[in-house]
Amino acid sequence: MAVTEASRVDAEVAPDVRGPTAPLPATIFGLGIAALVIVIGGVLISQLNYALSDRELTQACIDASIAPEDNGAIGVCNIIEALADPVTSWSLYIGSLLGIAALVLGLAFYKRMDSERRRDQAITGAVFGSQAVIIAVALLWFRSATPGLFAKHFLNFADLEGYGGAFVRGARNTLILALGGEIGGVIIGLVLGILVLSKRRAVRAPARLYINFFRGTPLIWQLVTGYFVLLFGFGIRLSAFVAAIIVFSLNTGAYSAEVFRAGIQSIERGQMEAARSLGMSYFQAMRFAIVPQAVRRVIPPLMNEFVVLIKDTALVIALGLSAGDYDIFTTAREGQAATFNATFFTVAAIAYLVVTLPLIRLVNAAEKRLRSGLVGIAGAGG
Amino acid sequence: MVETAPRSTGSTAGSDALVRLEGIHKWFGNLHVLKGVDVTLQQRDVLVVIGPSGSGKSTLLRCVNMLETPTSGKVWFDGQDVTDVRTDLNEVRTHIGMVFQAYNLFPHMTALRNITVALERVLKLPSAEAEDRARDQLARVGINEKANAYPGQLSGGQQQRVAIARALAMRPRLMLFDEVTSALDPELVGEVLEVMIRLAGDGMTMMVVTHEMGFAREVGTRMVFMDDGQVVEEGVPSEMYRNPTSERLRQFFAKVL
Repeated sequence: MAVTEASRVDAEVAPDVRGPTAPLPATIFGLGIAALVIVIGGVLISQLNYALSDRELTQACIDASIAPEDNGAIGVCNIIEALADPVTSWSLYIGSLLGIAALVLGLAFYKRMDSERRRDQAITGAVFGSQAVIIAVALLWFRSATPGLFAKHFLNFADLEGYGGAFVRGARNTLILALGGEIGGVIIGLVLGILVLSKRRAVRAPARLYINFFRGTPLIWQLVTGYFVLLFGFGIRLSAFVAAIIVFSLNTGAYSAEVFRAGIQSIERGQMEAARSLGMSYFQAMRFAIVPQAVRRVIPPLMNEFVVLIKDTALVIALGLSAGDYDIFTTAREGQAATFNATFFTVAAIAYLVVTLPLIRLVNAAEKRLRSGLVGIAGAGG
Repeated sequence: MVETAPRSTGSTAGSDALVRLEGIHKWFGNLHVLKGVDVTLQQRDVLVVIGPSGSGKSTLLRCVNMLETPTSGKVWFDGQDVTDVRTDLNEVRTHIGMVFQAYNLFPHMTALRNITVALERVLKLPSAEAEDRARDQLARVGINEKANAYPGQLSGGQQQRVAIARALAMRPRLMLFDEVTSALDPELVGEVLEVMIRLAGDGMTMMVVTHEMGFAREVGTRMVFMDDGQVVEEGVPSEMYRNPTSERLRQFFAKVL
């Protein structure tokens, strides 16, 4: 839209007034970066070195209860051996020392810096340094316990062979569950959101009761009970998968209702008055004037809700889904049950992140756009 | 545009009155905002309501189209009691245009759509006819070239003129103006007042709450001065300016003129 483009097409560049740098802040900044690079780089280099070269199962690994006949034993052993490798150790020690140096120097001198850039460098150097120290200390602590057992159970990817298709199907089912629940929830939520804004208590009260019930009871209880309410109560025989989508819709509807209520209430009173003064009925005013504006404002919170719902679909593990309907989490649980290898859950987490991270970025972008105040125009025109 | 009835100058509540407010009381919680107000508008009247802020003049105006429901008292429009719960307010409001201080255009619609939406959805006009009417009104307020602009792309003065066009497109018999220039930058006030002056010249019946004393004197056929929820003085503007009878009106003029 015109307004958005106008703000982007800004040929003139504002002058950089942050001033020059100096040896001391540049050194602090460099120390901080070096500390981080050494800590992370050292660990990665050892891990890659061990992972890519041919190695035997060491006695240390056997002592850490990794049996030679275990599937993926060498891979797990490499992880522990790399953690204990001198390259890792030295990079953790040196990185920590550099990090502490950056932190101490940065804290000591940042207040005396006389330009914006120098101060930025001193502070950023100190921050990087402290991050390097935290990572190094955490890794040293971690490897001092029994990293072998952890790696054996959560980082042993050998057993996952042949489960690729299952995880893809799981991701698809997770998305169907969440999308179905969100679509149903938005529809229910919009209706409820309008009902709870009624001036009549008789209309408000049941809507409020519904919302409070679904917000006030655990989703896992709703899932388990909902299936049997449909089956025994209404005599509706549905697959657990479809029943789950219905329960997710009912539950999301309650949360969406609050989102819509807040969105509608955020529209200036004058909009309703203008619509009514033109002879529109209350529902016409809602439909043409209020709700279209409110919907634009609630898109970010509704998307946020969708991200939450994606993760909450993991609760269908409590239902007896048929094999083709497994979501990500159930797929992981089945794999883990078959192999006694919890690495399936590690992969499940990665699968959830693959789906949620882009969405989280999208929500943040939408929120930013809304805050910039251009949504009213761009949304309508686009 | 409106049937040509003779301009009335008196304040007697004739039977042909377009609007009659009788004994209007309004309470907001425990705040007594209107304390028994009686006002009558004849056809072609331009009734100007003045008074200090908080005197209840906007609330009174909003009682005419029932955006505020009077706590007690009656509002008659064209012989119909609009305070009766059986009255179809939506129908009555199609005959009463209103313009607000904050414009209240729909920000998600173009200027044109702001006008056509009620024509199509309330008056049930075919969309081609609605668009013709809307473009005609936009031309009358002098911004036909902005038909496809969104409110956010218009100046305050242009937005307010679209708002006036939106109300006029309904072909109302009465126009209510609620401090319509108060939110405008000083250099934009003139273009809006100009539209209102032309409208009064066309014979539109108008009730105008305003702080524009020049407009009140030049355009108003009758004037009501309110203070503390009551009508303190009522008459012909020029007369009231020349010799205000009450001390309160004298003090008010001393402050605003």
